[in-house]
This record gives sequence, structure tokens and C-alpha cells, in this order.
Amino acid sequence: MSPLVQVEQLDKRFGEVRALDHVSFEVEAGEWIAIMGPSGSGKTTLINILGGLDHPSAGRVVVDGLEIGNLGERELTRYRADKIGFVFQQFHLVPYLTALENVMLAQYFHSITDEKEAAQALCRVGLSDRLSHVPAELSGGEQQRVAIARALINQPKLILADEPTGNLDETNEAIVLKLLHDLHDAGHTILVVTHSQAIGNLADRRVELEHGRLARISAPSLAKD
Amino acid sequence: MFLRILWKLLGASRGRLAVALIALTSGAAVCSALLNVNLDAERKLTQEFRTLGANVVIAPPAGGNEAALADAAVLDRVAALHISQIVATAPYLYVAANSGTQPVILAGTWFDQVAKMNSWWKLEGGWVSSRDDHEHCLVGFTAARQLGLAPGSSVQLRSGDRNISLTVAGIVTSGGAEDNQILTNLDSAQALAGLSGRVSLVQVSVAGTPAEIEGVTRKLAGNLPGLDVRPVRQIAAAEGTILGRIRGLIFWTIALILILSMLGVLASMAALAMERRRDVGLMKALGGSVQHIMRLFLFEAATLGAVGGVVGFLIGVVLARWMGERIFGVAISARLEVLPITIALTIGVALAGAFPLRLLGRVRPAEILRGE
Repeated sequence: MSPLVQVEQLDKRFGEVRALDHVSFEVEAGEWIAIMGPSGSGKTTLINILGGLDHPSAGRVVVDGLEIGNLGERELTRYRADKIGFVFQQFHLVPYLTALENVMLAQYFHSITDEKEAAQALCRVGLSDRLSHVPAELSGGEQQRVAIARALINQPKLILADEPTGNLDETNEAIVLKLLHDLHDAGHTILVVTHSQAIGNLADRRVELEHGRLARISAPSLAKD
Repeated sequence: MFLRILWKLLGASRGRLAVALIALTSGAAVCSALLNVNLDAERKLTQEFRTLGANVVIAPPAGGNEAALADAAVLDRVAALHISQIVATAPYLYVAANSGTQPVILAGTWFDQVAKMNSWWKLEGGWVSSRDDHEHCLVGFTAARQLGLAPGSSVQLRSGDRNISLTVAGIVTSGGAEDNQILTNLDSAQALAGLSGRVSLVQVSVAGTPAEIEGVTRKLAGNLPGLDVRPVRQIAAAEGTILGRIRGLIFWTIALILILSMLGVLASMAALAMERRRDVGLMKALGGSVQHIMRLFLFEAATLGAVGGVVGFLIGVVLARWMGERIFGVAISARLEVLPITIALTIGVALAGAFPLRLLGRVRPAEILRGE
């Protein structure tokens, strides 16, 4: 069985700057991968390319059998709607939509909306009493949970999370990590960009980048529960 | 969900959208008023034109040395046609007469009809109000000066071996041939000339556009064989030119107003586009296609246009009434056909003004999410 994600000799340049330099790795379906490295090492660039938000300069990226580099804008949009669930550090919720509507927005772009299903997704992340609240009325942790519910609503093949706990306090970080852990246990494939050793230790494998190059791929030294 | 998002979008940007809506409503109001005025102005103006003299003349064909005359029964035949556009019909019999040794033209007519089509004549003294008044006359300004006549004077007229004595009711200034004539009732002139039941010509005042006047002329000609029925070309052409210019003025004013409205909307939408870059980047990241997102924004603009069009139409109706009273002295009635035109124009302006929002389709989500 072929891996869900194949990255081969991936290059990305911004003018003279080489953000990614011949990066290669694979991710099996159901794996939790932590992408780690110092600031400017190319982590977000890598996740943007995997999510179809950016184009590679060279190399191959294949996700669920689709070579992303060959996709046009329309196909990339469809790819994002069908196969990817994004969780961002800044949450990125639409400020004038309620928590429920933010989740339904992803459904709307994917196919058809189902309010009941969206409400259930929010219940699963513990926000059953926050459905009609707009982001300004939610705490950071609650906003991130809305974003997680939104990322999951279309059953994506791949969940891409960019520093999902970067803006959260310890309590909310624990809640979000528990959610990611549960998703992993449920068989979702998760790629998390993080600086946090704690999150890195929860992953099946760590892909570490330095100056755009793949430094190492390792299994966490601490045992997971 | 589409309508839900649309509603939230309208609510979230109500400040900027209100500015755009004011621009659209103002433009729609002026357009609606001008369109209402344009549709009614033609009718009002042609009515006004009918006070500026006859625009169709019925006369016997010219021939021989003798002045040709028509049977006065032509007046009954014209009346029997029941042509609604005919405002007034005035017969004229011109008689070469003498006042003492001075030659003068006596014109016999119907003063009630002359008054309808020549309301702009200046009058010093009184008018001859009845067709049965065989004692009074009006004297043209030049003729009065030559004959030394003033209101209340008596004038003796002779034609061949017949005489008539008339009292001057008033002095008229028309700026035309009437200034050199003495005008009296048709019967009196016919009696002086010994031409009972005869007229030299009939002046007809027809309301309508140049095309309608041509139509009436053709109808009269068809029903009055043996007579020349011809429009007074200069007047018809002048009326046509004035109507054309007014239409042109209204058209260009509407175009200018719509452009100004569009600029107002454009300014609002440009600011709105800057505010929405992040939302659009996010929507694209979530798998929203450019078509999906643009459909939202264009519907939002079209909704604004429709609301602005309806409200503007209602304001325009009031404005048109006010303009009608100030310009024509009559209330201009609301024309329902202006409503869809106003709405369509306003939606068009709103969509054109929403151009900056269309540029959001080019937003690159990765850049937005990076915070660029």
C-alpha cells in the first residue's frame, strides 16, 4: 500500500531565498507527524505546499495519489476542500459568523451544508453551548476548538495544523492536544508544525528541518500513553 | 447557507455598505425623477407647444389669379373626425378692405379657438370672447399705429360696396402677420366680403410628437379630398428639435449621475475590499472557489443595487412631482415602467462599483495567512 503523503526532492524558493531544499519524506495513513525546527527553517512553507496553498518550485508532492505540483488553481481549490483540514495558530475564523456557521462554511465550500452535523462536530470538541457565539465572544482555546471542528467536518484525508497551541494557555493547550490525540486514535492522519517538544513527543515521528533542509526524521524518545 | 453568509456579510460591513447604498439611492432617485420627467415631459411639452400657434394648415389648392376659397363646411368635417390630438381649429377668411383711404387686411376668425392656440399674444385692452359678437374687433399693433386706433376707437371698413363698423376691443401684438391685420368674427368678415360660408384657410393646432402630427396630417388629408393639408414644417421641426434636446439632456444627465454614483460605490468597495482580504484568503484556504466567493460579493452588490433602486425610485417619484410643478406647473404622475429600469440601472452601477471586490479573487491565501 502506497503512503498517503510522498514528498520527493521538494524545493521552494522565494526569489533568492531557498525556503525548502531537496526535502524528501513519506507519511503513512493514520500517522501523526510533528514537523519541527527553528523559525525560518521552512516548516510553514512545507505545510502550505502540502495543503495546496503554495506551489513547489521543484520536486514532487503526492497526497492521496494526487501530484499537487501538477494541479491548476481550480483543482487546488477542490483539493483543499476535499482532502485537507487546516488548523492555524491564529485560529482564522470568520469574525461575523457564529461558531456553527464557521463550521458550516467549510461544508458549504465542500458540498452541501448540514447544520445538525456541524453542531455535532462542535459538541465533540466540547462547544455544545457555544454554537451561536461569534469568535469575539469565545476564548482563544474555544476558537481553536471551533477551528478543529471546522477542519474535521468534511472528513479530510489529512489534517494540517500550524502551531495549533501557539496562542493558547496551558489549560487550553492541554484540551487541544487531547483533541488531536483523540483524532489520531480515531485513525486521522495529522501533520503538526510545532516548536513544542511536548507535542513533538506525542507524534509517531518527528520531521526536523534546518535552513530548509531535512535534518532528521526520528521517533520521539519519550513513550506515548 | 449562501443567504445566511450574505446576510452576515451585509451586517458585518454595514457602515461601508451604507455609504454605498446612499450613493446608489441618490443616483437612483435622480434617475427615477428624470426618467419620470422624460416620459411625462414629452406630453407636457407638446401641450405647451400647442399654445405657440397652429402647426397644421388646411387650405384650398392655389390656382389662378383669384385667391382660392374653401367651403366653411370643412370645419364640420374636421370636427366629425373626432381626432383627440386636435387642440384647436381656427378658420380664417382674409378680406382686402379699406379704412378710409388706407388699405388693410380684415381677418375673420373664431376668437375662442385663436385664444387656445395663441395664448402668448400680447393684448392691450379686451378680447372678443363670443362668436356672435359682430361689433368688436382686435387690431394688430402695426395696423393700429398706422390707422391711429386704440381700444374703444371705432373703425369703418369698406370692401367693394359693402361697409362694416367695428369697435376696437383690443390691440394685439403677435410678432406675425396679425400685427398688420384687423381681426373680427368670421361671420362679420364673410358679410363684408359677400362670401358667406367661405374661408381662406383653416389653422389646426395638433398636440403630439412630430410623428403624431404627421399621422394627424395624413388622416386629415385622406378625409378632406380637394384640399391641401400640410404641417407647418418650421414649427414641427422646432418642436422636434426641442424634444430631442431635452431627451438628450436627460440622457446625459442620467449617465453622469450614474457614473458619479458608481464612483461613490467604487470608493466604498475599495475600502471594503481591503477589509475583506483576510476573509477571502481564509475562504480560499478552506476550499472556497473564486466563483463561490465572487458570487457572494456580487449578490451583495446586486442586493444593495436592488434596495437602492426601489428606495431611489420612490424618492424619485416625489422629486419628479416637485420638478413637474416647478417646471411645467403640473404634477408629474409616477410611471411604473420606470421602476424596473431604475432597479436594473442601479444594480448595474452597483456591480460596476463592486469591481475592487472582484480583484479579491486574486488574493493568495498563503500570503494572507502569513499575515502579509
